[in-house]
Amino acid sequence: MHIEDGILPPGAWAGWYGAAMLFIVPGIREIKRRVRENLSYKPFLAMVGVAVFVISAMHLPVPVTGSCSHPCGTPLAAIVVGPMATAVISMIVLFFQAVFLGHGGITTIGANDFSMGIVGGISGWLCWKLLRRFGAPLWLAGGAAGFAGDVMTYLASAFELALSLHGHVPIVRQWMIFFAGYGPTQLPLAVAEAVFTAAVLQAMYSRRPDLVPGVAGRGMSNEAASSGMEA
Amino acid sequence: MDTDKNGTRNVPWLDSFTRLMLIIMFAILAIIFAAAKYMDMHGMQGGGTDDAVNAMASLSAHARSHPFIYLPGDAEVGAFSVANFFAGMIVGHNWRKLFGSGKGD
Repeated sequence: MHIEDGILPPGAWAGWYGAAMLFIVPGIREIKRRVRENLSYKPFLAMVGVAVFVISAMHLPVPVTGSCSHPCGTPLAAIVVGPMATAVISMIVLFFQAVFLGHGGITTIGANDFSMGIVGGISGWLCWKLLRRFGAPLWLAGGAAGFAGDVMTYLASAFELALSLHGHVPIVRQWMIFFAGYGPTQLPLAVAEAVFTAAVLQAMYSRRPDLVPGVAGRGMSNEAASSGMEA
Repeated sequence: MDTDKNGTRNVPWLDSFTRLMLIIMFAILAIIFAAAKYMDMHGMQGGGTDDAVNAMASLSAHARSHPFIYLPGDAEVGAFSVANFFAGMIVGHNWRKLFGSGKGD
């Protein structure tokens, strides 16, 4: 989903920057609010941000298709630090990946953030919330969130390309053509992302259940955060 | 850090956390090596889907796609290594703040 510079026309990439900003601004507010409420949030956000950087740069070979792709990490991030904050950290991640690793582009950060940080994060988070509301176990809700967030990221990325480049071809057809480029490799990786998301949430629950939202039943207090950081 | 019956403190070579991390790392690497070996045996290129779709999109856009920077050859491996080394340091630093030290660390 790392769309490079030169593909999207200026109107399109500017529009995706604008769309991403609708989530970035509330995301910055959410981060400021949660930093005040929770002592653990800052180091947690830093750790999750770095994890998203590594996970979304980690190309894994998929022998079924003979190509490589990467998971996203944003569904997990959205569950643990919040979907709006995930939009913010994804934008920072995509900037560093473009500048230092040659992944993606500068003009396309808005579009790439919209697919990976916003659609991927929010769809994973919604899936998690919905399944937890119906009493699904942690591993199932986390796994489904990881799978849904991963697939939705690539559907969104293919849609961004199709919207600008469909020409005389019907947009839905062009969308599916671009998704056909991602899908066969991405679907096995979405399963891997499901397993990874479920495993990390399960591990976090065993060490610090208060850090997994909606599991301990209430938000983390500063007292609990302090005891965790002094351990 | 462990203390034996004589009261001598020592650091084990492989504590439980390190063992677990090594097991997970080798399991993931084994999957990657097996997949890569299969792809190599069947003449598969193993290119990235991002690159493939960017190339498809370039044809539709009649414009050349290009990353912000281009890292030729081993420069990409070097950049990944530097980025991931420091990423690991930052994760480890914050990990200790959040999860503390486990028993036997």
